Amino acid sequence: MSTFSGLTTANRALWAQQRALDVTGQNIANVNTPGYSRQRAELQSIGGNAVPAMYAVSNQVGQGVDADKVIRIRDAFLEARAQTEGAGTAALTVADDTLAQIEQAFREPGTTGIQAKLTAVYTAWGDVANHPNDQTTDGARTAVLQTTASLVAEVRTTSANLDAQWTRTRDSLDAVEQDVNAKLTSIAELNTAIKRATQAGLPVNELADKRDGLVLELATAIGATSSPGDHGQVNVVVSGATLVSGGQATGLKVLGGLEQASAATDKPRFITDPGGTAVAVAGTAGGKITALTDTIPRYQLQLDGVARKIAAEFNGAHEGGYDKTGAKGQPMFDGGAGTSTTDPVTGAVTVDLTKVTAASLNLRITQPERLAAATVGPGPTSDGSNATKIAQLQNATSGAASSYRQLIVTLGIEASVATSGLATQKVINSQVDASRESVSGVNLDEEMTNMLQFQHAYSAAARLITTIDETLDVLINRTGRVGL
Amino acid sequence: MRITQRAIATTSLQGLNRNLEAIGKLQEQLTSGKTINKPSDDPTGTNAAMQTRQELAGATQYARNISDGLGALNTTDSTLQNMIAQVHTVRDRTLTGMNTGGMSEAARAAVAAEVSGLRESLLGLANTVVQGHPIFGGVTSGTRAYDPATGGYVGFRPPVGPLENTVMVNRQVSESDSIRVDITGQEAFGVTSAAGVVPATRDLFAIVGDIAAHVVSDPDLLDADLAALDEALNGMLKAATDIGTRTTRMETAKQVNTDLQLTLTSRSADIENVDLAKTIMNLNMQQTGYEAALSATAKAIQPSLLDFLR
Repeated sequence: MSTFSGLTTANRALWAQQRALDVTGQNIANVNTPGYSRQRAELQSIGGNAVPAMYAVSNQVGQGVDADKVIRIRDAFLEARAQTEGAGTAALTVADDTLAQIEQAFREPGTTGIQAKLTAVYTAWGDVANHPNDQTTDGARTAVLQTTASLVAEVRTTSANLDAQWTRTRDSLDAVEQDVNAKLTSIAELNTAIKRATQAGLPVNELADKRDGLVLELATAIGATSSPGDHGQVNVVVSGATLVSGGQATGLKVLGGLEQASAATDKPRFITDPGGTAVAVAGTAGGKITALTDTIPRYQLQLDGVARKIAAEFNGAHEGGYDKTGAKGQPMFDGGAGTSTTDPVTGAVTVDLTKVTAASLNLRITQPERLAAATVGPGPTSDGSNATKIAQLQNATSGAASSYRQLIVTLGIEASVATSGLATQKVINSQVDASRESVSGVNLDEEMTNMLQFQHAYSAAARLITTIDETLDVLINRTGRVGL
Repeated sequence: MRITQRAIATTSLQGLNRNLEAIGKLQEQLTSGKTINKPSDDPTGTNAAMQTRQELAGATQYARNISDGLGALNTTDSTLQNMIAQVHTVRDRTLTGMNTGGMSEAARAAVAAEVSGLRESLLGLANTVVQGHPIFGGVTSGTRAYDPATGGYVGFRPPVGPLENTVMVNRQVSESDSIRVDITGQEAFGVTSAAGVVPATRDLFAIVGDIAAHVVSDPDLLDADLAALDEALNGMLKAATDIGTRTTRMETAKQVNTDLQLTLTSRSADIENVDLAKTIMNLNMQQTGYEAALSATAKAIQPSLLDFLR
């Protein structure tokens, strides 16, 4: 125990409280910084010599305080949960968004969608049934042609809308790819910097915060998770594929068709680059992949089914009748050029319905008098019973109208399930966020209290120095000077 | 749980957002007047709404069919009544012509001329046209039911088989019911049989033509003509009754259709339209909640220990 050891202790105390005050300052400064984890100066008492050596002088009192380490306060378990839940929320958000856009494409229930147009066609046929043989204008027949053309246009527009949505989503995957690769590189660089700083004994808290923030963003983007590595580094893994290992980053690449048609066989997917291993991504990218490979094509397919049903239903009924000139009715719809064949001998037209899609649905009949309103024939009559039959198709139990309604109801249910699923997931996510914030967030009241504590401790340590100084003054200046 | 300023701010913001979202939803319903703006708002409601819309469109079409059918039936009925009155006149003149004892040649010629004139008039009525279509012509594509020169039937004849095989002109009056709105000339006025067919039959116009001829040439044959005329008249009365019955059916269908349209309209409104009172009430409640949340947030975020430290 030396004469000045008390001064050293007090000095250490001053330094430690000063450091703690600095950390408090840093916390207060970053109270609103997203992703900042609050820090704490780890105060530790320095003990006396536990095993006194020979000739050692020890008064068995400790050597004061040490504030070497400043730590980040965060819960690794909660961070992992935030990654998982963030990915889940992102995927559900994309799913909800996709379905909402599909709903917009169909615009039901309303007066502008396919159902309204289809109903108008049936109604027009009802009018033809009343006046199949209007001698002057053929008004009712013309109305059938016009409403049918409008129905065809609507079916095609809806299909085009879905197709455009698909292409937009596919394009956005490229943006995701670039964003993810940039983040992966940044994480690897930060990892390297953290490793060097750790080895040099420098503070890495801010670097680690920044890196963990990036990892969380990657979790949202592609469903990445992280595991701790050496020297404060982290490894980033997506469904078993390691994308960042220490300072090494492996990029991702999007493959697959750029058009909905070519993507049916060449599905959009992510692979590692270099490496070429398929990666089952989650998060936003996973949601988009699901939209591209399942959701949008599924509704496109159902719409194609409806178009095919419209063609089959009207063709079947129309071919059963005779037109105004008394000739046998021809198919009303085909799928564009090359989907119908004409028998060279009988002149009968056969339509290959399997080639009819929503995008290619085409009205073959262009002349009003070619509409087959009569069941009596051959030979011209003013019979309208076939028109009645066609108008009555709207009540068919498995007709085009009812299968279209089924499509819309399925869509409605799926979209409403997605919306409520997203709402639930958001609650979970906000709870996890709240828990993280509760651990890592800065509380100003707490910082103020700490500040007071450290301030008082600093004053006290200063006072200790004064006291020791006075003691030494007595010892050095006054001792042995009795009588002088 | 440790609470931080940022946590309070985030939670408050989330709560405020939720409140505002609810207000936005109610606002959307109020401004559009619809509770269902997209299928996911209410999938079952969407199904019902779409079905009701379609049924309503169907019912409107049936209403058009009915009024069109009623028009055709009424025209047919009044034409038949006119013709029946004229046939009665023909019958009177025939009786006059049968009075062989007290009539001069000139008087007979006058009767013959009048009956011929009546025949022309009857043929004219039998060729009555509605919107370019002869009402007694069946489903003919022509504009006449009877040839005005010969008086022969030129309307639609069933390709094969007896009169019952006639192609009827129907109007669909409901999903399951259709009512015939025409009667062919052959059904109303009888059939003139082809040469050599036994027993030989004559239609109204042939009979009246024969009467005009026989009054002058061979009054003795008028007895048989009168019997045939009475038979034809009976046929016409039967046809008129038939038309009358169908008109009644059509009127009933009209009533049913009107009721159906009302029901469907109100059902559609029930499903799709906003309950104004309820929605406005909800909006007000939501607004109050929102304001409360705002002021609570303002109070909760403000103070910290800083305000109390010197």
